[in-house]
Amino acid sequence: MSDSIIGAGPKRIDGQRKVTGEAPYAADHHPDNMAYGYGIFSTIARGTVTGLELDAARQSPGVIDIFHHGHFPELHRSPASMPQGNKVEETRLPFEDNHVHYEGQFVALVVADTFENARAAARKVVVSYQADDNAIANLDQGVKAHGTKKGGDNHERGDAAGSFDGAAHSIDVTYTTPVETHNPMEMHASVASWEGDRLTIYESSQGVVQQRGALSKIFGIPQEHIRVESPFIGSGFGSKLWMWPHAVAASAAARETGRPVQLVVPREQMFTTTGHRPETRQRMRLATDDSGRLVSLRHESINTTSFTDQYVETCGSVTKSLYSCPNLLVSHETTQVNRGTPTSMRAPGAAPGLFALESAIDEMAHEAGVDPLEFRLNNYADRDESQDLDFSSNHIREATQKAAEQFGWHDRNPEIGSMREGHEIIGYGMAACNWEAIKRECEARVSLRADGTAHVTCATQDIGTGTYTIVAQTVSDITGLPLEKITVRLGDTSYPAGPVSGGSWTTATTLPAVAAATREAIEELKGYATSKKGDFADVDSDSLTFENGQLTHDGQGVDYVDVLKGQRLASADGHAHTQGADDRYSYRSFGAHFVEVRWDPGISNLRVSRVVSAIDVGRVINSMTARNQVEGAIVMGLGMAHFEATDYDARNARPVNNNYAEYVVPVHADQPPEVDVILLDYPDLEFNEFGARGIGEIGITGMAAAVANAVYHATGKRIRDLPIFKEKLMENVPEVQSA
Amino acid sequence: MSDHHKGDGSGVETFDARSPSRRRFLKTMGASSLAAATAPAWAQIAQAGQQQTEPVEPRDDGAPAEGEQQIRLTVNGVEHTLNVTPNAVLLDVLRDRLMLTGTKKGCDQGQCGACTLLVNDTAINSCLSLAVSHDGDRVTTIEGLSSGDELHPVQAAFWEHDAYQCGYCTSGQIMSAVAILNDDNIGSDDASVREAMSGNICRCGAYKNILAAVQDARGRMRGAS
Amino acid sequence: MREFNYARADSTRQAVSTHGRNDQAAYLAGGTTLLDLVKIDIMRPEQVVDINRLDLGGIETLDDGRVRIGALVTNTALARDERIQRDYAVLSEALLSGATTQLRNKATTAGNVMQRVRCPYFRDGVSSCNKREPGSGCAAIEGHNRSVHAVLGTSEHCIATHPSDMCVAMAAIGATITVEGPDGRREIDFLDFHLLPNDTPEREHNLKPGELITHVTLAAPLENSRSGYLKLRDRASYQFALASSAVIVTLDGDTIVEARVALGGVGTKPWRAFDAEKALKGQQISEATFKRAAEIALQGATPYAHNAFKIPLGQQAIVRNLTTLTA
Repeated sequence: MSDSIIGAGPKRIDGQRKVTGEAPYAADHHPDNMAYGYGIFSTIARGTVTGLELDAARQSPGVIDIFHHGHFPELHRSPASMPQGNKVEETRLPFEDNHVHYEGQFVALVVADTFENARAAARKVVVSYQADDNAIANLDQGVKAHGTKKGGDNHERGDAAGSFDGAAHSIDVTYTTPVETHNPMEMHASVASWEGDRLTIYESSQGVVQQRGALSKIFGIPQEHIRVESPFIGSGFGSKLWMWPHAVAASAAARETGRPVQLVVPREQMFTTTGHRPETRQRMRLATDDSGRLVSLRHESINTTSFTDQYVETCGSVTKSLYSCPNLLVSHETTQVNRGTPTSMRAPGAAPGLFALESAIDEMAHEAGVDPLEFRLNNYADRDESQDLDFSSNHIREATQKAAEQFGWHDRNPEIGSMREGHEIIGYGMAACNWEAIKRECEARVSLRADGTAHVTCATQDIGTGTYTIVAQTVSDITGLPLEKITVRLGDTSYPAGPVSGGSWTTATTLPAVAAATREAIEELKGYATSKKGDFADVDSDSLTFENGQLTHDGQGVDYVDVLKGQRLASADGHAHTQGADDRYSYRSFGAHFVEVRWDPGISNLRVSRVVSAIDVGRVINSMTARNQVEGAIVMGLGMAHFEATDYDARNARPVNNNYAEYVVPVHADQPPEVDVILLDYPDLEFNEFGARGIGEIGITGMAAAVANAVYHATGKRIRDLPIFKEKLMENVPEVQSA
Repeated sequence: MSDHHKGDGSGVETFDARSPSRRRFLKTMGASSLAAATAPAWAQIAQAGQQQTEPVEPRDDGAPAEGEQQIRLTVNGVEHTLNVTPNAVLLDVLRDRLMLTGTKKGCDQGQCGACTLLVNDTAINSCLSLAVSHDGDRVTTIEGLSSGDELHPVQAAFWEHDAYQCGYCTSGQIMSAVAILNDDNIGSDDASVREAMSGNICRCGAYKNILAAVQDARGRMRGAS
Repeated sequence: MREFNYARADSTRQAVSTHGRNDQAAYLAGGTTLLDLVKIDIMRPEQVVDINRLDLGGIETLDDGRVRIGALVTNTALARDERIQRDYAVLSEALLSGATTQLRNKATTAGNVMQRVRCPYFRDGVSSCNKREPGSGCAAIEGHNRSVHAVLGTSEHCIATHPSDMCVAMAAIGATITVEGPDGRREIDFLDFHLLPNDTPEREHNLKPGELITHVTLAAPLENSRSGYLKLRDRASYQFALASSAVIVTLDGDTIVEARVALGGVGTKPWRAFDAEKALKGQQISEATFKRAAEIALQGATPYAHNAFKIPLGQQAIVRNLTTLTA
């Protein structure tokens, strides 16, 4: 394997399409005779629909049909199984009955000839409800009303409770994180068309194969009759991993009306009916011995889930193995609330979990009187104690030390509020990052074509991470073909099955399949070359090498194009089906964030001014897109730390800031002036031949804790409830009795 | 490879053209690439609307139906005669009627900037604009920026600096950047650019690279003009 | 958006006659408020009167030193006008702190004056809201009321803040709003234009049916004054004020001769703090003076469950602004 293209930073092969506006996203598709859907969404969080006044809407210009629970085809639920390939998070079908489980649930759908007409008519639909006054609005209410249910992924070793009591130093603290919403720039969208009993759907999807499987189960038609396409998506961050009700509604409406139907989920309902990161409450109990070694660690979390489905936010997933501790307990529980079903959001479990863990580690270090950096170096695990396995590759100590050095951690005056500049108090904070490395099974096809190009297909997606480009780099690396000669096609179920784009597993999963398929194609080519009519008729195919587009034997090289043309062949093709990771090792990625915050107490302004992060994700395939992933995750982590929370009215579970103005995400002006990402780039060859572990999620893990720890250093205030709004840091805020 | 086309030499095909708009766009690429005139379109963005580089055919809806009003809209240099209902929004008319889908809808309520385009050379949110109000106006969308195969320097810089991830906010970011770089009232320092670009949310968080691209494009535009 | 009739006016007279006294009609300028609210079905005009082609896009200095701003001058154009930058820095800064580049390019001076509240219970179309549906109650008072709710000028019927930055600067400067309507032309003092919610939160301003704002005329600048706008919020841009201050001061050495203070983000209307001004006039510049004035400005403020921090934050906006301007 040559090192020239793997690890380099070529610009994206799909970049031109993005900068010219040509890249087609779901709602950019306009099949002939397409109609437009517009949803009507529940305005209560719990209860039943008791009536629908449709006359005015029906008479509205251009209306074709209006669907609702009394007028919708009978469909089936998907088994919602990821191994079966039909996972959905919200199993309830749209318009299944008249029950309302959350505000912003589909209760009707207008289909009209134009978008304007569909929306205008939707406004005229009058829905009456019987609201149930017992809507559960938040985690506290849920626990109080119905208690909790056991979640999965629990872990226990040693005697965490016994070793806590009487330990030299201990803390017992509780952290909370609010609902966060993915809010990808592109609203969820489906464009569904039927030809007979065959469905084609353009979807903004992170997983076309799973969506096809789910649609097959729901509509009761063979998978081969369904094509899901998602060549470009306006990102998802987890919200587009699994199909949501709108896609079922659009598909059914298209079948019933006999016209292609486009349905876009409005921004407001991107907060309700397409998933969110659930609210969590996490109790952390830690204890150390005299020397500051952890002797007991308990991480017990509860998260909210919906009344229709069970979703577990595995907050303790990292806690099991990041630190060495003989006595450890991790538990997950859920409680039901009247919100839509939650789903994975970038670094599910780990993002809220590491806010709690890495804040608690900081608190524990202070309690034990140890520098938080030293504390971590003293306590990082050298092997995965939860699985009793070695790590395949772990450079967290080097990551921590390198980032610390570049950041200037050792120049920090540890005294609270001691570092000042002008009006501002400067705080330094750090946290570890961690994310599991996962590799799944994958298929890919590669054709070496007689026109001198290579053509790759795989039904995974490029969600903005750069998958198109790294797939091309892989083929280029093996064949020597320049990127310009390599065509990559993704995001279409007519291609060989590929993985959901999530979990940071796309790179490790897809590249080995693409590489294997490329080698298969080369083998086929060698077969042609060594056949009777071939250029190397008498040569053993094993002794042929393929380099720079040439088959070579004994110094004699023939361009592969000539091999194919000589036999009037269109292409040499390879197909591969590769398997998921083995269990010889614990495969994880590691890193550390160092954050500088500035708090201006005179105007109560907090800002993140500097971030240095060192990340150990194995080999980096494309240095430019990889760095971009971590930098972007840092921005999202900053938002998580500082601004982001979906608020619900405690009286009726109504979301109150479900728009882009009041759900505050970072804008350009919030970008810290200095963000430096160090990519360690140690190939993890136990994991796969490329040594790459994936990089999409790890950058957000630990970020909120690093900010909170820096805030503590600046202000002496330990913020255990995200987000770190200014009022939590202000003095003299009058007490108000909440009604 | 019918839909293979190049930008600065490294463009490659990643998938098939499928939508009608895209086919039409591509069909006309060959002809429009001839329009590589002496001055590239971006050097005179103020006149970009007059450049005949836009592939979309002029559209004439004929007589308006009841409830519709007729407007003339010059989009990327092509004058269209369109019949629209008063509640039709400029963004939707461009996307659904003229099939200019490069301009994106991210929130439909003026809160994200994905729909940013230029009307008479001024950057606005097209989601908060009635089409009927723009009768006689000159609109420049992302599709009107490049001159044939030649990318506008801002487009080229975005590609070069990986100033996107998913690409969905990119058209809006680029249109804002073009307007900002042509606006002497906006400072050229990083903080001023960040502030001026804050109406374009990038949820992927590619802000660092976007800033680098904008500042790089500033140099390219200065050098070329 | 539901269907509506659309008419484009070529003159103010035509606009006013097309609109008439029809309470189902609406004037359309930049559209950044109106179209937003029509899209979410909160405003449902049957007749839209587009005034964008009226000749109201100029800024002129009058003989008495006042500056007359046409209703259609965009926020961008106003912020960049040389006279405004020179004589009314507070206004230019307020405008540039509001919204975004693109929105400021569309939003007009009159439209900004007519901006409506951001209260989620107003915007959701279903919660109790006396502004939207008089007599239905105010869901915000005991609901979620952190960012876009007021502590000054609230009533038991409404606590939504007026969201404008521009208006806060104008409240400090002093201005007159000229309107034209079915009964002819009249002028309204800027501070009388926006109404406190009191018992009638559905009445937000002093316009009579069919009246159209044609101009806003700024009081002549205070000679030798310094002025500035300070806006405090969560993120660094593109957010409505949690608290803001518009301050104009003139000094004689270290003595404050004249002071004008107005607040944003904390009041149900652009909030002029006359008592705070009195506490500043004639005083030596000092942190203690500023703090006292700031306390006076927020005296009588009513905190709600989530926005109590706006009381100290509003005070900080005043103190820091004064400190910077008098440094």
